[in-house]
Amino acid sequence: MPIPNLPPPSGGETYDVNQNPPPFGHPMKYYFPLDDDYINLNHGSYGTLPLPLVFAATRMGYEIERNPDKYHRLVLRPGLLEKARESVAKFLEVETDEVVLVPNATHALNTVLRNFEWREGDVLIGATTTYDAVSNTIRYLADRSEQPRPEAVTITYNFPLTHAQILDIFRTTLREVKQQRSGTAFTDVPPLSPGYVAPTHPADPPRGNKIVAVIDSIVANPGVFLPWKEMVRICREEGVWTVIDAAHSIGQEPDINLGESKPDFWLSNCHKWLYAKRGCAVLYVPKRRNQYIIKSSVPTSHNYIPPNSPEAKIKGTNFAKQHEWTGTADTVPFVTIPDALAFREWLGGEKAINDYCHKLALEGGRRLAEVMGTQVMDGTGELTLNMTNVALPLPAEKASGEVYTREQLQKINLHLRHKLLNEWNAYAAHYFHAGRWWCRCSAQVFNEISDFGYLGKAFNAVCKEIEETILSEGSNERAR
Amino acid sequence: MPIPKLTPSEGETYDTSQKPPPFGHALKHYFAFDDDFVNLNHGSYGSLPLPVLFTATQMGYEIERNPDLFHRFKVKPLLDRARESVAKLIGAETDEVALVPNASHALNTVLRNFEWREGDVIIGATTTYGAVTNTIRYLADRSEQPRPEAVAVTYNFPLTHAQILDIFRAKLREVKQQRANTAFTDIPPLSPRPACANPQGNKIVAVIDSITANPGVLMPWQEMVRVCREEGVWTVIDAAHSIGQEPDINLSESKPDFWLSNCHKWLYAKRGCAVLYVPRRNQYIIKSSIPTAFEYYSPGSPEAKATGPNFAKQHDWTGATDFVHYLTIPDALAFREWLGGEKAINAYCHKLAMDGQKVLAEVMGTQVMDETGELTLNMPNVALPLPAEKTPGEVYTREQLKQIDLFLREQLLNKWKTYAAHYFHAGRWWCRCSAQVFNEVSDFEYLGKAFNAMCKEIKETILDDKSG
Repeated sequence: MPIPNLPPPSGGETYDVNQNPPPFGHPMKYYFPLDDDYINLNHGSYGTLPLPLVFAATRMGYEIERNPDKYHRLVLRPGLLEKARESVAKFLEVETDEVVLVPNATHALNTVLRNFEWREGDVLIGATTTYDAVSNTIRYLADRSEQPRPEAVTITYNFPLTHAQILDIFRTTLREVKQQRSGTAFTDVPPLSPGYVAPTHPADPPRGNKIVAVIDSIVANPGVFLPWKEMVRICREEGVWTVIDAAHSIGQEPDINLGESKPDFWLSNCHKWLYAKRGCAVLYVPKRRNQYIIKSSVPTSHNYIPPNSPEAKIKGTNFAKQHEWTGTADTVPFVTIPDALAFREWLGGEKAINDYCHKLALEGGRRLAEVMGTQVMDGTGELTLNMTNVALPLPAEKASGEVYTREQLQKINLHLRHKLLNEWNAYAAHYFHAGRWWCRCSAQVFNEISDFGYLGKAFNAVCKEIEETILSEGSNERAR
Repeated sequence: MPIPKLTPSEGETYDTSQKPPPFGHALKHYFAFDDDFVNLNHGSYGSLPLPVLFTATQMGYEIERNPDLFHRFKVKPLLDRARESVAKLIGAETDEVALVPNASHALNTVLRNFEWREGDVIIGATTTYGAVTNTIRYLADRSEQPRPEAVAVTYNFPLTHAQILDIFRAKLREVKQQRANTAFTDIPPLSPRPACANPQGNKIVAVIDSITANPGVLMPWQEMVRVCREEGVWTVIDAAHSIGQEPDINLSESKPDFWLSNCHKWLYAKRGCAVLYVPRRNQYIIKSSIPTAFEYYSPGSPEAKATGPNFAKQHDWTGATDFVHYLTIPDALAFREWLGGEKAINAYCHKLAMDGQKVLAEVMGTQVMDETGELTLNMPNVALPLPAEKTPGEVYTREQLKQIDLFLREQLLNKWKTYAAHYFHAGRWWCRCSAQVFNEVSDFEYLGKAFNAMCKEIKETILDDKSG
């Protein structure tokens, strides 16, 4: 039967572009589907889908089912999909065919790292703060049971650190990596680095060995902003390929300016800070430079072009077209990106949104530290965009195992998660880093300072519980 | 603000204590198609029943009430429940089954996990799905060693099952004979072990369709699996079209090495959702999900020693995604139960496929591809009323073939408001229809009328045949 008479949008599912939006803060909850009494200070993990987007996505879902063939064969491609990619490319100020949409940042990262042809002697640099699934991807590639496989190297960052300190550590490690491998010719350098030689043929093997660095723009845990543009510049000088895991950046980080910063690869989740539907991410690969590295989408597509074919000379690796269709999927998250951008425009635009969120993150972090009697991680303000990290009122340890056994750490994590979500009805990410327990809060347009106050109260109660139960075995003198 | 309360409209809900309408047009009530759309191409993208679409929508709203609560607490048991329901259908254990976005993804997970060595061989076919052939080619296209070699078996339909088996067996033997110096000693666990079985040697991996896409034909895949087992060849069964169409799938009996199918095709699940089956004996091959997961363990690490291959656990979370497709599988299965169950559904669809193809061939004055009945489950293939050629280029240039394809697609969808897949195979134009519970024979008649008109126009324009 024809799609049923769908109810019109109700309440916060629709908005009048001619009217002003409500002010930022709790009145904005009207446009989000969160339970009224749920204090969401963890937008950063899974994103929060605005009601107008939930509605648009639902409508789109019904539309597709009216005629799946027509939709997939005539409407989606190029039409709707290109419109979505265009809107993201415009946002990032890059060209449309430098940008493809994939299910999530982890997928984008895997697409890049798995496309490099690894040789024995190659080095893949991550960090102790790299997102788990990304470290695991690096490890998986290095774990190949026999040659060829890259070697995994990990830079250690223990926060708090200033940007200057981070850059020192990074620069030093890069030099160390090279010095310790002085017998290896790292001549496979990225196109903008000194000594680059372009391949003469699409099917040419890579020349020499390479170093590839995975760099976070904004780390997950801790939720800190890194001096990634400067790190990209250093890598360019050192002949190191840069893969920027910018999962949290789009919609949070102002002035991304890829055309100026020129990373080799950059990827971000649209379903985090950009208000798109889960799962939807953007992978940026500059053309005329690096698209030849991405030989195949993951999964491989109908539009794959073998490097030895005549087509390859004309179309290269067909980067954008390959990613148009990588198997039947739910395309609704991709095609509703323009709706997300329109909603953000209505709210006031990127600058207004992020000014509010940034200010709230700084103030909220301070208030939270007050309530808990602890401190904010970011002493200088360099590390904070819209996510603030505050120490929890639990003992710190100077050496691993001094206060906490592995089991206790696990128990505390589970306890915090369970109590916050099921009893206090509030949430922020929590993690153990460099000997301390921290929380990471996300400041969104529907949050206010009082949310941080409430969260502090919750943490105080739950941490007291933790000290009285999980930590009461063992009698270490507590460091504060 | 609180999520709106959703109430199901007509067709979005059904009463389990009432009988369903009879198979045929009456069932269109429960699907979202435009009334005037004659859908004979369920096979390509699936058809989502309204009750499942409604449940999916509801779940979508629910998740957004508290995404952390949902993803950290609620998802896992629901996902396990979905996996269990699928495992039961195919004769597998729950932990031998993972849910992934689509069949291509499942296929890539398997082929990209094998550690390829110079001298390895991947066997596909000329009828292998395009993206799968390309995956094989991509692996073989590595610019330097090590990389497998791609080999393709040629099938030109129509063929009987006996003929297919002959061709396949002959190819396997040829592959080995032509590579007499290669020690194919990396053989699957169930193959007879020669004295020198050696996982460090070379291997042959065969990608075998259970039901090919174009043409839409059922292959004697269980027999091909047996042949491979004897020959020491790994089997990856691309069964994209099987679950919900092929009766009596029992993987613990047929014992393929890997098997994968799209749940969003014939099983009525929401797009995109597929099942990847890896029996315990082979899980050590799948070292990493794609993308690599939080739960990945390095081989030889203490975690790996403690838990063994964690194939299922790795696939619980491979990055943020919309879980609704996976989680509403049980709702799709419940709807199918209410309709009468797998047997009843497929008995109807199969009979309709057989009756429908006869009528279609009559209306178009052509023939069905499957003379013996062996090749057809729910997707009949019928020749289109266009010239056939004995050698490539005899009648059609490449450009004309493309033009015809585009013309058919555009006219079918925009003018005639109907669709069936259409393709050029072994010198002829064919269509592949999908017989579903909402179809009747009259749909095939209408399609035939549409094809007649369009093919006449093609002959007069693209093929410039003024003699009609």
